[in-house]
Amino acid sequence: MRRIAHPRTLGGALARSWGAAYCWLLAVAVLLPVAVVVAGAFVPAARLGMSLGGTSEGWVGGAESGVSLKWFTYVLDLYGGALAYSVVLAAVAVGAGLALAVPAAYGLVRHPFPGAKVLEELALLPLAVPGIAAAIALIQTYALVRGEWWFVAVGHVLYTVPLLLRTLLHALRGEGFEAERAAATLGAGPWQRFARVTWPRLRRPASLGALIVAAVSWGEFNASFLLATPLHQPFPAALYATYTSNSFAVSSAATTLFLAGIVPLLAVIERLGRRELMAVRQGA
Amino acid sequence: MSHARQAEGGGAGSTREPVRRSARRGRGPREGRPWTGALLCLPLALFLAAAFVAPLTGLLPQSLERTPGMLGLGAPADAVSPGGPTLANYRRAFSSRGDLAAFRNSLVLSAAVAVASIVLCLPPAWLLARQRLPGRSLLRTVLALPLTFSGVIVGFLAILVLGRLGLLPAVLRVLTGEPLLSGSAYTLGGLVAAYVYFEVPRATLTLEAAFQRLDREQQVAAATLGAGPVRRLFRITLPQVWPALLSTLAVTFAASMGSFGVALILAKRLELVPLSIYTEYTGFLDQGYAAALCLLLAGATLAAAAVLRALTRDGDWIYG
Repeated sequence: MRRIAHPRTLGGALARSWGAAYCWLLAVAVLLPVAVVVAGAFVPAARLGMSLGGTSEGWVGGAESGVSLKWFTYVLDLYGGALAYSVVLAAVAVGAGLALAVPAAYGLVRHPFPGAKVLEELALLPLAVPGIAAAIALIQTYALVRGEWWFVAVGHVLYTVPLLLRTLLHALRGEGFEAERAAATLGAGPWQRFARVTWPRLRRPASLGALIVAAVSWGEFNASFLLATPLHQPFPAALYATYTSNSFAVSSAATTLFLAGIVPLLAVIERLGRRELMAVRQGA
Repeated sequence: MSHARQAEGGGAGSTREPVRRSARRGRGPREGRPWTGALLCLPLALFLAAAFVAPLTGLLPQSLERTPGMLGLGAPADAVSPGGPTLANYRRAFSSRGDLAAFRNSLVLSAAVAVASIVLCLPPAWLLARQRLPGRSLLRTVLALPLTFSGVIVGFLAILVLGRLGLLPAVLRVLTGEPLLSGSAYTLGGLVAAYVYFEVPRATLTLEAAFQRLDREQQVAAATLGAGPVRRLFRITLPQVWPALLSTLAVTFAASMGSFGVALILAKRLELVPLSIYTEYTGFLDQGYAAALCLLLAGATLAAAAVLRALTRDGDWIYG
């Protein structure tokens, strides 16, 4: 199918090269602000040709020049706990998500029951409901446990489990029953079949889904900001704190730390499988 | 390539049915046992019931209550809570002293963002799906970068570029002598730009997937039968990509309606619904009114998705 010569569409080669130029222009537009922030974390803003307000520049000591890592140590001192909290949240989102989604996906596809379709729709619905509504609903219902570290994790799982479920459902539906049926004919019990036939084929989509969950959880803002209390905040909420109360250099260093977490994840996801990325629709 | 379609249309249905029928007849194959399936889904179902269904439905009675809020703290209790469910919160939301403007702004903003991000992302999606570009993988990674940013980061970047002392005004001052666009990050146009930045990955990914599923052979057949490029565009390509365009529209619209982080940083001059909810909830402590606004926002978002879904009559695209 790929080999068939494609008829020339509007414009042909000319359109293609203009198109490529446009795409790279868009990529530069996406990358430029990010690059400025990363640079701003190492170099004083004045050296970047920017003057970001007199007062803050004065008390953070913008006079010195050259590359420095001091803003990173400052951010780590101040928000290191938030950073660790976010790592824990991502790990919990991945672990709890797998524990909930793997059996459910298997049950929905292999052993459909009345109402399975409804449950599937319901499980994907959190992606379509504005995050702030779901977060406020959670706080109102469970006001007593607000402040517990795992309360924020509940919000993260709610927003990431649909992504995992989608990836797994897609993988299971694309395969069919044959291999399992063959294993059953050969006398394999249900556990053996799952462990030896089904799971090996789910491993790739599951690990890809886990990476996506980790990336989404790392950047999730609604639950991180609204469900947490000011005493114990995840990193995205700490980012907001730096934007509202710290200098440009500190904000940039914090943002760079955020990027350092997310860029490798996205690169691996892009390498392993792009299709699964499309399931991501995060409430932010 | 058409995995999803096969699974939705043929695969799942045709394998599922015979299995279930034979199970009922008592032949007892090892697949298709509904009780096992229900049991496996139980943890997820319980989690969703406790963390999603119960809290959201709990908002409804709350939204029908008149809560005192900050302003009523000093007033006698019977003056602010007359008891019994009331639509006062909803009436207030649509009155001029409420959030009518916020709803209008949110709708206009989200619609503009949805259309703009489709227009901007059509070329990269098409080229990534159909052509061999040099550096394709890098281009993809860069365009997917903002996908899992926190909204506040996008707001911060917007201020950096379009703020009062932003990069673009600085460049324009050098070029024209006037700091044009200075502070435009806080206007409707600036908000649209920031939101579009946020939606570039989502729009590109959704459209690219659709373009990959396009049936090339129809193009070839039409070309062989003498259809010109324009005719092929309108008779073949557009009907094929139409559902994808609508679904991208729905996804980006819904994401923008609910986006809170960007608004928290940028919406200083404009009222937006997520921000009104936040202010009412944490600032004025008016939980009843905040609950009503939450339900209205969720309702508007889901309704828009449902309308677009009905237009395409395709079951599985809402979530991108």
